Formats: sequence, C-alpha cells, structure tokens
Amino acid sequence: MLLEKKLLETLIATGMATGADFAEIFCENKTAHNFQMIGGLVEKASASKIQGVGIRLAQGFESVYGFSNHLDPDSLIELAGNLAKSFTGEIHAPKPLGECEKGSHHLIKISPLSVSQADKVALMKRAHTAAKNYDPLIQQVTVSLGDSVQEVLIATSEGRYVTETRGRVRMYINAIAGKDGMMQTGGEGPGSGKGYEYFLEDIHIEDYAISAAKVAKTMLLADECPGGVMPVVIDNRFGGVIFHEACGHSLEATSVAKNASVFSGKLGERIASPIVTAIDDGTIENGWGSANFDDEGYPQQRRVLIDKGILTSYMIDFLNARRMKQQPTGSSRRESYKYAPTSRMSNTYIDKGESTLAEIIANTPYGLYAKKMGGGSVNPGSGDFNFAVSEGYMIRDGKIAEAVRGASLVGNGSEILHKIDMVADNLDRDRGMCGSVSGSIPADVGQPALRVSSITVGGKKGGAK
Amino acid sequence: MMNFKQLFSQALQAGISDVQVFLSGSKEMNIESYEGKLDRYEISDVSGLSIKGIYHGKLANYYTENLNQPIAEIISNLIENAKVIDSTDEPIIYAGDKEYAKADQLYNPKLDQVDVSDKIEKVKTLDNTLKNKDPRVMTVQALYAEGSRSVTLENTKGLKLSSKANAADLFAEVIVKNDVDQRNQFDLIHSSDPADLEIEPFATNLVQNTLRSLGAKPIATGEYAIVFNPTAFSLLVSAFQGIFHADNVQKNLSLLKGKLGEKIGSDQISIVDDPLLRHSMRSRPFDDEGVATTYKELVKNGMLNTYLYNLVSAKKDNVSSTGNGFGGSTSALNLVVKAGNRTPEQLMIDVDNGLYITELQGTHAGCDSISGDFSLQASGFVIKNGELAEPVALITVAGNFLGLMKDVVEVANDTKLTYVGVMSPSVRVRPQKVSGL
Repeated sequence: MLLEKKLLETLIATGMATGADFAEIFCENKTAHNFQMIGGLVEKASASKIQGVGIRLAQGFESVYGFSNHLDPDSLIELAGNLAKSFTGEIHAPKPLGECEKGSHHLIKISPLSVSQADKVALMKRAHTAAKNYDPLIQQVTVSLGDSVQEVLIATSEGRYVTETRGRVRMYINAIAGKDGMMQTGGEGPGSGKGYEYFLEDIHIEDYAISAAKVAKTMLLADECPGGVMPVVIDNRFGGVIFHEACGHSLEATSVAKNASVFSGKLGERIASPIVTAIDDGTIENGWGSANFDDEGYPQQRRVLIDKGILTSYMIDFLNARRMKQQPTGSSRRESYKYAPTSRMSNTYIDKGESTLAEIIANTPYGLYAKKMGGGSVNPGSGDFNFAVSEGYMIRDGKIAEAVRGASLVGNGSEILHKIDMVADNLDRDRGMCGSVSGSIPADVGQPALRVSSITVGGKKGGAK
Repeated sequence: MMNFKQLFSQALQAGISDVQVFLSGSKEMNIESYEGKLDRYEISDVSGLSIKGIYHGKLANYYTENLNQPIAEIISNLIENAKVIDSTDEPIIYAGDKEYAKADQLYNPKLDQVDVSDKIEKVKTLDNTLKNKDPRVMTVQALYAEGSRSVTLENTKGLKLSSKANAADLFAEVIVKNDVDQRNQFDLIHSSDPADLEIEPFATNLVQNTLRSLGAKPIATGEYAIVFNPTAFSLLVSAFQGIFHADNVQKNLSLLKGKLGEKIGSDQISIVDDPLLRHSMRSRPFDDEGVATTYKELVKNGMLNTYLYNLVSAKKDNVSSTGNGFGGSTSALNLVVKAGNRTPEQLMIDVDNGLYITELQGTHAGCDSISGDFSLQASGFVIKNGELAEPVALITVAGNFLGLMKDVVEVANDTKLTYVGVMSPSVRVRPQKVSGL
C-alpha cells in the first residue's frame, strides 16, 4: 500500500511550509521470507512485512528525518509538520509531481511470493545433500535461504516521482569439515537481484554447495600459513572485498564531504597504479546491488571511480552534492524507511586487465595465492585493514603449491592501490551485505585476479620460506 | 488496528492450536551536533506485530508492520511456514504466572514534558561547553537520544500483559590534539530523569580525561595488577554473558556447564540480573514469552546460583523459566555487578605498579565465548605508588573470563549504567598478562 499522489503533494507542501527548500517522501512495502536448516532439518521458518514512510526535509546543508508506519494521512501530515518546525525562513514552492515513472529494468520472472515454502526448502535440501555427500570429512552443513520483494515509491519537491519493485534471493551454505577434534569451515552465498529463476534456471546450487565443502576439506588438511611480507595473488569474486572495504568506503561522499577521507580533494590525481580501473555500476541487469533508481529517486548510474589509476569520481548523494558543489551520482541508498539515505556503493569492482591468472602465478617465484577471501575490518580513520584468507595456497617457483590456513592480509587501503602490479582478465563478482550509516544493504564486490607486489601476511607458522 | 480476538478465533478455526501476539511500539528522537551545528534531527514512531502460532506441533513466526493486515494472510503464512519445519523442540505458548511486578516506575513522564527546543538547546550547549573547555579540543560531537517502548502481549491461553519504559542518553565525544598526539574519548549519561542530564561536571570530566590521555604510549610487557573502570568491566561482562544462557550450556557451548552451585569467582564478585532496573529501557515485568521476570543472583559471592532459562530450555532441565526468553532465544535484561564500599581511588592505594584500564577494543573478535579466553586492545593509565600516573595505549590485556572472576580483589562503589547495557563499578583484579613494548 504505497501512498496516493495527492497525499504525497500534501506531505511535501506541509514539510516546506516553514522554510525547508527540499522535501522527500520515501514509501516502502517489503515482504521477506527466511529459512534456516541445520543438518538437513528446517529449524526456523519465518515471514515478515516491513512497511512505512520516511520523510526528509532540508534547508541548505541541514536536514531532518522522520519515519513511521502509522500511514493514515493525519499521522503522516503531523509527522511532516513536526519536522517542518525545525526550519524558518523564506518559503520555497515545490515542483508539481507529474506522471509516476516506473522502473523497467531488473525485472523479476519467478516472484518469491509465488514459490511455495516447500519448493524453497527443497532447494535448500539439494544444497545440503550436495555439500554433505562431498566427503566423509564434512561433519555438518548449515543452509539458510532469504528472499524479499521490496516496492518503493519516492516523491520529492524537485518533481522526482518514481517507483520500482526490487527482488532479492540469496542462499548461504556453510560446510564444516572435522578431524581429530579440529574443525574448518567453507562457505558460499549465491544470490541475485531477481526472483527464483536465479536458483531454478540460472545456476546449479550443487556447484556452490560442493565449492563450500571443498574449501572446508582443503583447509582442514592444510598446514598453517607462514607469516611475513611477500607478493600476494588475490583471485577474483570475493577478493574484491578489500577494495570495497579499504578504498570504496573512502570514496563515498559521506566521508569525502566531511574531509574524513584520505581521498578528499584528490579528483584528477593518481591514487592507484596505472593498470587499475575501478567501477561502481548500479545498472548491471539484475545485479545484487542494482536498482532502477537510487533511494533519492535519481536513476542509478555506472560510475568510473578510478580510470587507469586516476581518481575520476566519488559516489555522491543529493545532500553531500550540495556540500561538495558537485552533481549527485545516483548513489544514495538505505536499508529501509527506517534510515535516512546517504551515498553508498552498489556493484563495485576492479575492471579486468590484460594478464591471465596462469601468467601471474608463473611470474611469481614465491608468495601467497589467496583464492578466496573472508571477512575483515578496516580502521576508517587510517585505512589500515586486516582480512582473513578463507582459502589459500603457497606459490613456489611459479606454481601453486600446498594449501595453507590461518592467513590474513594486513595493509593500508591507499597504499595497496599503488602496489597492484598485475591484473588478470577473469573479472567476476560476488555478493555481500554492506553495513554503514544508512543500514545494511546488498552490495556486490568483484575483481579479476590481481597481484599485490608486497603485503604483510599474518600467519602462525614462523617467517621461514 | 487488528482485532486480536478475531485473529485468535480465525486461527483456531484454521487448525492452529495456540497463537500469541506481541505488539511493540517504539518512539525515538535523536538530536546530534557536529562542529557546533545541528547535524541530525530524527524522529520516529514505529509499531511492529510479532505473531507466533503452533500448527501440528510446529512453531512458526510472522512479523508485520502493517497493523491492518488481512487476518487470513497472516494465518496462511503461519501455516505454510509451520508445515516445512522439522525441528523437534516442543513449542510452548504460556498461560501466565500468578503475579507480575508493578512496573509503572519504568516510564518517567517528565521526559515528555521537556520541550523539543530545550533538548536541541541542550545539545548545542553541551557542544559549545566542550569546545570552550580547552584550546586543545579539536572536534566535538554531542548527541541527545530519547526513546520509549511499549509492549503488549496476548495469547490464546488467556494471557494479557503490557508495559512501557523510557530513557534518554546525553552523549559526547571529543578529539583533543597537541603538538605530538591526538586522542579521542566518549562518555554518556543514561537516565529517564531529565534532571540527571546535567552538562557539568559531565563535560569537564570528559575533556579532562581525554586531555590526560594525550601522549599515551605502550608500557613494558609483563603482568600488572589491573583496575578496570565501570565501562571496561561492563564490556567484558557483556561479551561473555552468553555463558549464563541455559541453551548454550545444553548445547555444550558454555564453560559454566556442570558448575551450578560451585565457586566460579572470588568472594568479592556478585552479578545479578535486575529486570526492573530504573532508567533502563530494557526493563520489563515479563519476557517475550509472557513469563514474569525475576531478580536473580546469578553469581553470589563467587558462587554460581542459576543459569538463565526460557521456556524451552527450562523444560529440558526440568526447571521453571527464569523469565529470560527474549527474541526467540535467551537474554539477560540488566546485568548488574554489585558495588562495594570504597572509592576507586581507595582500591588503588596499595597498587605499586599497575594499570587503570578505561577502554577495551575489539570485544567482538577478541573474546572467545566458548573457551573464555580474551585478548583485547586496551588503553588507560599507569597506577604508580597508589596513584594515577602516565597515560597508556596500544597494549593488549589477555586472560580468561573465569580466571578473571576468580582474580577479583575488590569492587568499588562507583556503579554506572554503561552504554553496553551492563551496570558495573570499577573492579580491581590480581595481575593479568599485558603485552606492550
């Protein structure tokens, strides 16, 4: 139940009646399902409906935000009126709303609302069986499945009036391998910005389940990783998490506008090695982080952040665009109506290069091959990061050698960009949930395999070669 | 607004044996300044309805923010979800206890009587006060946050309960800088009484403590007697509170398994769960399952008295629920480390070479809740000849939570409700391993 145009216009007018020069109404109606399976048995099944309205007013750089799920006109008008009390000054007239524009990309073919719970659970059981049967060392498998359909409608005093329906499906598969009281895990989280056609037509869920089980087994049988400074080859897909966390967040206007970013004021300057081109593209069809419109109603865009090493664009929302005296880049996102929107990443990746993974490995006499990356943390002030390698191998004499576990990569976001000296052609993306000031949102990370000429590897097994 | 009676009768007709609704309404206000200007003003009013139903012995959950949602839709969702559940846990909808505590004191109407403009003014005044305390104060952030929560529980066993609570926070963070160093610290006052939200001496203490930490350096690796301030000790208790949950004990995930009735700490340490603690927005006379909450001495003079139970874990151990069933799992409401008689300064008097720890970082990754081991980045001050001396940073304090409980020498009288929701005084412990230079 999204609001009628007449009420939207009334709310905008009420919000601007005292001096605000901008008003925005965000309406949301979202249905979600969640399932958890442990050892092949469904432990939990739940459904939810999130529904509400967020009203934002601004005057210059100052903004106020209110949200509620009491959607009767009187309550909403009272909310707009209470927010308006924050401002006094010259009255600005809002632009009238025209036709509501409906997003025509990222369509859903098989809606999560039309698939039965039994069919969803059947998919999870397929994943469980494939992972469990991979090897006798696999002792436990947990699978969770989540889907959602989010309808949004955005209307602003600048005449933006848009609506779209966003579908999301994702499964997490975790396999645990065990032997002699030791345990190692491997995980995969396939998902997409569409409906169940992703699981039923696009992919074979067994491939992901087996991949998770394989990592768990490999890491169980692996030796501890040696520590020290060495070249590291980080492979594609979730390898992009380092760029996302350690560089991407510093290119969001949220930190750039307040001069809190190491990249503030560096447009046009070299911030990475010349073989690095980085892109944030919210228009990839049915991408995990894609949408027709951002959460301020601007069309999503493809943004080239770094072009051959030169910083070319930030990710900018409407309010920070005012602060920075630049144009918004369609980058504003939020988890739900319970958050005021701000600049966020969508599908962010380092673009493909000219080498091949085989060439990079062959050109590395000694180092670490980080096939899969895990989670980590970044100090936002300094850009120092620490990420776990969830599947790693030593490189010896230009060949992939023994598997190693317990490795972590320790470095600095702005330094690592200059140390990338080879980039492969196998660009691929993977999915993540990104948490920040405007909540937890789906975001893709990605890259081709690339080599960092030297970085500190943390490991438990001494520093010897 | 949905008619619960109608929901119950239609659900029973559809074959759902028991239904419970839990309606939660939250109102919040956040006023934040940045560099002396109003940076964020946010108000909200959100209600959510959680419904659980038992269908053929399986429990299903549904949550909606549409309070006018068609009842038929809710019922079909519950049934569809219940049908796919394999779990053999026996779900329970509770008929209620004989008595529930009166809890009117948890809502203080005085907070509502203060005008919004006065609350905005308070934030701006706090911001200016901090900024003008000292030329070395570089950046200031001030925040006033106020919230109220009302909950109503009704089920088909005839139980009907409600309660509400409110509270406010006055929060500030400052960054100070001199020629060689830059340090930041934050602090807050948490209360439901507007009279407690006094800018002085809060602002003076925060600026003084942060200035004192300028030039902080690591100390030599070794073992040091430690006095944790209330916030640091609260963080540790909060990080390890899961060891008291009966479901963790039953799943073999708690180091307190088999220790009921045994000494797990020194005589000096007592920890209670106080469900009706004043000024805490978490306080409630009943839990999410409708069980009356009770004041419990989890640890009394070092002795482990009880675990925390919800209905399902209590049934497995053949005991009564302790009223700690929250969010489909188990949780304490307000953990309180009982205070002692002396001031923190008196606790330090006979410490020749020790540490006063005011900040711990990385409790998320640096605490292993299964083994009890912790290794945390810390900062604070050296205690030399019984008094606070030079500031310390970038050190690591490592130990084991149960070991720490046994090492408690004395607790002070400066109890404080901290931002992690645990109330604690300063606590002195025997020497612990510290890594530094």
